[in-house]
Amino acid sequence: MSSITLTSSDGVDISVERTTAERSVLIKNMLEDLGDSGEAIPIPNVNEAVLKKVIECDDDDNRRKTTDIDEWDQKFMQVDQEMLFEIILAANYLDIKALLDVGCKTVANMIKGKSPEEIRKTFNIQNDFTPEEEDQIRRENEWAEDR
Amino acid sequence: MPGAKKGPTAAARPRRDVLASLRMASMEDISRAALPAEIVSSILDYVGPVDLIRAARSCKLMHEMAYDDTRWVHKLKRIGCWDEADARKHAEVVFGTVANMEAVEKQEEAELGEGPVPAITVGDDPSNDLKGISDGFDKIELVNAASQPDMFQDLLDEPVLSVLKQVRSIRGEARQEYGKIHAALAPFYEDIAQSGPSSENLVFTKYKDPLAQAQILAQLLMFSKSDMTQGWDKRVDRLERTVSMFETAALKEFRQGYEADDIDGNMRKYAHILWTLNGGQAAVDLFIHHNHLMTRKSDLGSVASCIDGSTGQVKMEQTQAFFTRLSVAFNDEISIMNRVFPPALDVSSTFMSKVGQDVLYPFLTAIFDELHRVNIKSYLTAISTTFVQCMNLSEALLPIRGSDAKFDEYLDNVVIKIYEPHLDLYLAEELDFFKKACESTVSEWDRHLSEQAASTESFLMSNVNRQADKRDFLTSFKKVIMMPVNILPSFSSAKSNEDSKSETETSSPNPLQPSKNTNRFSTLSSPAPVAVEEVPTTELAAKAAIMKTKMEGIRSLFSIEIALDLVHSAKSSLERAAQFVRLGGEYGHAAKQQCEAIFVALLRILGYQHVIVGFDKAVSHLSNYRPREQGDRDQSGVEPLVTFLELVNVGDLILQMMDVFYEQELIGMRLTDRNDFVDPANKEKKKFEQMLDERVAAGLNKGIDVLMEEVDYILATRQLATDFNPGVSSDPHRQTMDVGVSEVAIAVVDVVSSHTQMLVGSTDKSTLDVFNQEVGLRLFTALCKHLKRQRISVEGSLKLISDMNHYFKYIQTLRNNELLLYFTAFRELVQIYLIDPGHAKELATVIADADRFHGIWRVEEVYEFAERRADWYHVKRDVERAMYGIGCNVM
Repeated sequence: MSSITLTSSDGVDISVERTTAERSVLIKNMLEDLGDSGEAIPIPNVNEAVLKKVIECDDDDNRRKTTDIDEWDQKFMQVDQEMLFEIILAANYLDIKALLDVGCKTVANMIKGKSPEEIRKTFNIQNDFTPEEEDQIRRENEWAEDR
Repeated sequence: MPGAKKGPTAAARPRRDVLASLRMASMEDISRAALPAEIVSSILDYVGPVDLIRAARSCKLMHEMAYDDTRWVHKLKRIGCWDEADARKHAEVVFGTVANMEAVEKQEEAELGEGPVPAITVGDDPSNDLKGISDGFDKIELVNAASQPDMFQDLLDEPVLSVLKQVRSIRGEARQEYGKIHAALAPFYEDIAQSGPSSENLVFTKYKDPLAQAQILAQLLMFSKSDMTQGWDKRVDRLERTVSMFETAALKEFRQGYEADDIDGNMRKYAHILWTLNGGQAAVDLFIHHNHLMTRKSDLGSVASCIDGSTGQVKMEQTQAFFTRLSVAFNDEISIMNRVFPPALDVSSTFMSKVGQDVLYPFLTAIFDELHRVNIKSYLTAISTTFVQCMNLSEALLPIRGSDAKFDEYLDNVVIKIYEPHLDLYLAEELDFFKKACESTVSEWDRHLSEQAASTESFLMSNVNRQADKRDFLTSFKKVIMMPVNILPSFSSAKSNEDSKSETETSSPNPLQPSKNTNRFSTLSSPAPVAVEEVPTTELAAKAAIMKTKMEGIRSLFSIEIALDLVHSAKSSLERAAQFVRLGGEYGHAAKQQCEAIFVALLRILGYQHVIVGFDKAVSHLSNYRPREQGDRDQSGVEPLVTFLELVNVGDLILQMMDVFYEQELIGMRLTDRNDFVDPANKEKKKFEQMLDERVAAGLNKGIDVLMEEVDYILATRQLATDFNPGVSSDPHRQTMDVGVSEVAIAVVDVVSSHTQMLVGSTDKSTLDVFNQEVGLRLFTALCKHLKRQRISVEGSLKLISDMNHYFKYIQTLRNNELLLYFTAFRELVQIYLIDPGHAKELATVIADADRFHGIWRVEEVYEFAERRADWYHVKRDVERAMYGIGCNVM
């Protein structure tokens, strides 16, 4: 069980077991291409806090077949929204599919039952519809209205 | 990229740029990270349809992602009401094929226009009004709706009940279609998901008719497949429990109907309800499980009654009775099924396999196991017979409504399943049994033969023995004749042809050797006497008498009776095994192979162990034959050769028998392809024929040797010196000019022709020609030699000429032109003896005229013949002068 060193964007070295690190397809490919030189691998897009959180993530892929989030994941994802988005971005960058899925599901849960305005807030987006346009969409999909 | 925070200007980017990050500054939280569009898109994958629509209202990018048609097509696919082919057809009708670029562009434009500025006006309640959506595609859609199967004819006034059936597969409209489904089913779904299974569910309160309830529930089950958001498993679980609750209740009604024999009422009604709900498998299971046929299967017949305990024989009437009772019971059940279940529901196959498994299989297996233990032969018979009975059963059964085409297939499958475990064992046993039976027959016969050879001396010339032998033969022949009629009905006609043919063959050589029978008995006496039976006095007896001599002749070598026995058992084995060929597939193939293996085994045993051995014996017998040493010269035939030639006849008979067998059993029943030259049966048959031909050829070769020895012997011992040279005779009465054929010539021709004629018809023409030619040539050589030993006077040459004419006439009968040439030359040659000594010159001309003898002899050879003139020394000078000095003389 060898361990390797990762360097976060803010310059902190983190030692991690190779098998854990290889859950990231990015790192796995890198190790395969470069060979294990013992040098620290720089992860320029992820800061220390997020990187640690990502490494902590459970690696049992089998549980992620369903669309539901299990208890462990739920706890793991009990972070503030900013951290959640950072984790999703890191998972996307490092190419860790399981983690990315959990993140997406968590966000999907977050917007469940929310109004369009609340959704805008969550994703930090602006309303670029005119009120008529928005109403048009609502009328188009009357079936989706709460009865 | 959490570091890269962009200002609100980013929102002004072109909306079409899907891959652009969705980085927009928040009004309240400056440090908040934004997610790229592809991640937002995958987040939307996990969002339920209602939330998706709300997200679509949040901004234009979201709207586009949420409205993405593939998202909704995916949902429809999960529900199972998206027909890709239909969608493609529709797209092609509207937009043309892909090759039509203009149309494609138009389509794209249309799609573009749909996104930002929704052009579709939606009816107030799309779920309840099919025509509510006026999107310009109605014309095509109408055709689609019309072709819907009218399963719910009586319920069409309530579109909610068949909402899934009305979904159209149109690209670009998947969202609207989904909306219709959602509007129709979501209320029921949510209700069940929230409150769990109870009779107070919205489904049960809104619809009173159980059939309608079943329809809604069935649709909900499909609809639930598209639910992929958090907590779906609990919701689906609740739905499933509701469904099973409903199902249990319906099943209870169904069962009560069955028990009360209310076939057309409750049973029929609830069968349809359960079928609507989830395919009605539960009703089918219940029906089959509690079927009267299964519960009362012991009434059909018992294993014990089908086996005769004392002999181990299977009682076919009993098994047949079992099958008949089964078919009656089965037909009853089928008529019930036809009345109860909807035609589309496949009850028959399950029911049949159940019957096969629970009724037929245990019954047959018990019989087979028992028989396999007790008696192999009846085991083999039982397997094959019950299989035929099974197949007959299938014809007796009523077809189940709606499954006519597949009915036979099901039945075959059931039968295959029943016989599958037995088939391998059976086929192996069948071959084994046949081989053993054949081998024991052959070895038994061999043993008999050797025993009898040892005790031959004591039986020699015994009158009783001969009497018994005759009777034995007649009985066996009777068996030979009768057997096909009794046991091989399909074979009999061909067989009797075969027999009568052989009789006509045998009758021809018969009169030629009238005296040999008594003699041959001494060396070739037959097995021990058998039980005396009534000798048939009919035509059969006469036939037998004709064939008798032949049969006796070959008795010591091989027996046609044995051959028939073997063929007979092969036939029965083959017929049993061939039944399974119609199973087709792997098993049919195995059965086919086994049939061929039986045939191959038959050829091997009959051929190598019986016929070929017999031939070998005959050939060795022939080559050891020394007529002079034995000194037994009374008979006119060369005995071993006669035996051998008869053997050839019988061998040919057996070969023809094999051929008929092959044609009838293997080709006729389509077990073997005649043209498949790698097929083992074909190969073996060819080999057998080849072997037989080789043996015949070898035997004939030896036979010719022996025959010629005989001819030489006759010529050497019986030709009197006075025959061709009466002048040296001391007989005072020699004045009587005898110009007839000499005794020797008659004897030689008799010997030779009697043997050659025996072959006619029994070997193929080319062999016969070769044989005849060889005999003719050897006879010619023998005569040449003989002639050179004689001394011939002018007077005696007349007799010689008659002899030569006699030979010539005989050779003519062989119809061999080449051979005839030799003997024509001979006729010419003997004229040199006729020429008066005074005409030496003419003699010389004849000698020198090579053309006269068709180039068969050179001049020197003719000269040699001329030396055999009795007065050669008188004419020699004149002749030589005329020959060598002929030119001078003329001058």
